[in-house]
Amino acid sequence: MSLRQRLFRLPRYLGASGSPRRLWWSPSLDTISLVGSWRGQSSRSPAHWNQVVSEAEKIVGYPTSFMSLRCLLSDELSNIAMQVRKLVGTQHPLLTTARGLVYDSRHNLQLRGLVVLLISKAAGPSSMKASCQNYDMVSGIYSCQRSLAEITELIHTALLVHRGIVNLNELQSSDGPLKDMQFGNKIAILSGDFLLANACNGLALLQNTKVVELLASALMDLVQGVYHENSTSAKENYITDDIGISTWKEQTFLSHGALLAKSCQAAMELAKHGAEVQDMAFQYGKHMAMSHKINSDLQPFIKEKTSDSTTFHLNSAPVVLHQEFLGRDLWIKQIGEAQEKGRLDYAKDWPQGVFEVLEDS
Amino acid sequence: MRTLERDVQASQRSIALIAEMIHTASLVHDDVIDDARSRRGKHTVNKIWGEKKAVLAGDLILSAASIALARIGNTTVISILTQVIEDLVRGEFLQLGSKENENERFAHYLEKTFKKTASLIANSCKAVSVLGCPDPVVHEIAYQYGKNVGIAFQLIDDVLDFTSCSDQMGKPTSADLKLGLATGPVLFACQQFPEMNAMIMRRFSLPGDVDRARQYVLQSDGVQQTTYLAQRYCHEAVREISKLRPSPERDALIQLSEIVLTRDK
Repeated sequence: MSLRQRLFRLPRYLGASGSPRRLWWSPSLDTISLVGSWRGQSSRSPAHWNQVVSEAEKIVGYPTSFMSLRCLLSDELSNIAMQVRKLVGTQHPLLTTARGLVYDSRHNLQLRGLVVLLISKAAGPSSMKASCQNYDMVSGIYSCQRSLAEITELIHTALLVHRGIVNLNELQSSDGPLKDMQFGNKIAILSGDFLLANACNGLALLQNTKVVELLASALMDLVQGVYHENSTSAKENYITDDIGISTWKEQTFLSHGALLAKSCQAAMELAKHGAEVQDMAFQYGKHMAMSHKINSDLQPFIKEKTSDSTTFHLNSAPVVLHQEFLGRDLWIKQIGEAQEKGRLDYAKDWPQGVFEVLEDS
Repeated sequence: MRTLERDVQASQRSIALIAEMIHTASLVHDDVIDDARSRRGKHTVNKIWGEKKAVLAGDLILSAASIALARIGNTTVISILTQVIEDLVRGEFLQLGSKENENERFAHYLEKTFKKTASLIANSCKAVSVLGCPDPVVHEIAYQYGKNVGIAFQLIDDVLDFTSCSDQMGKPTSADLKLGLATGPVLFACQQFPEMNAMIMRRFSLPGDVDRARQYVLQSDGVQQTTYLAQRYCHEAVREISKLRPSPERDALIQLSEIVLTRDK
């Protein structure tokens, strides 16, 4: 089976419908219905998803749930853990993030790492395998590629932790004592930096400067993406950005697509695959991540049991498209009408608060 | 005969930039951690733009530094400088914890000082020497020079926290005490005034602790001892760098280590 065929089988294996390449945007209703056909997949039980993941994990040789925590068997981690425990009872976001990483296995789907491992195995050795003959290979995956998968998760987790920093001058009395938030911020920065430092060290050990550059630029993209997520149109005091779907695509690529895309490409580079294969892997990773995000954005709109208090992000894909069709003025008017009727109740510290509802780890 | 390579290579210039970027990224994060209001006489990033943006800014600078580092194309140099990133973080963690035992405290302080300050200088010097010549003896000289100057620099910085007044420094004084940190002058003073032990252990957290500790330090010879220690590190730096052949650059490096000792801000 050719590499191309193998790559196209993967998303189906992971529960996606069809080739991710076709799931790409043209701002039209056709596309929405295509993405909506995911509904069939997403309303299947969590048990189905878990089964798919565990089969994928068998392929790569081990469970990947605690990948990014494995390297943290160190003094620093027990230090961090002790400090995070002090946050129990406070409202600092780090507590939610930490809980999600350690206890909540349903949300702790370390998809990125798993995808990197799968694509490494699918691609197999390259025609340049003679230059890789010193690398260890276990279950069809080079140890450097496994290391890369871990590094990807480290970078993702580091930014997840850094996203939870709170602005001290925006705190309300309902957020609790200032010093709890300051302390939480401190631990969040240190933990995130610790994870990043581990990622950098891991990258250095790979002894491949192209891979370092790829992942470093993915980190830069991710930081910019998170930055955009946080910026609201404060000037106009509107609660929703005036962006069209193409801007949304660009921003979402930065915050969600770049890491997986570049990581998949880097995995190919490690096995010394050529530019064509690297580009294929890049596109695969990008589309996987983007479609996952879009699916996530869709959830509040297609769940069977939508209650009145379903929250959704006002900069999520369906909303952005809706705004683009209607035009900004009409959309702002609709928001106003909903507010008047008392039907719009958004979390005070949105987008952070609202976003967290939808964020699968 | 081989022409003497007198010009700085582009890759070495790049290391200088990268070192500054790593340093800046760590300062931006440190200022959020310490909830600092000012740095180098200006408002901190976190005070102007908030903590969230400050943390992201630090991450961005770090990623830019990493990209530049990768583009140099030398895996040894990448390893040397990523060690710095790890040391910086470990240094912060060392600062979070404290040692019960007086004897361990000084070793802990020097280790923290190396990781937080000297590692960057030592390893950047080593990195440029790796790019400049293949001789490991030279790499070690560069590393030792950087390490000794770095430690001396931090020791003097710790002294200035006690001896200067706030309009000369970019940050307000007794800053370390207020953060609960026991630096060189404090540790030396404690040998003369054992009453300080209790304050050190509770990280100067009770009202009046900071002022009392400051008084003890100024009464003791803590400042002098720390300065003397810094001098010894500088002499070691000079001794190392003197192993290189004479040049205007070597003279500058010797002068630099003297400036470290005599600066007042």
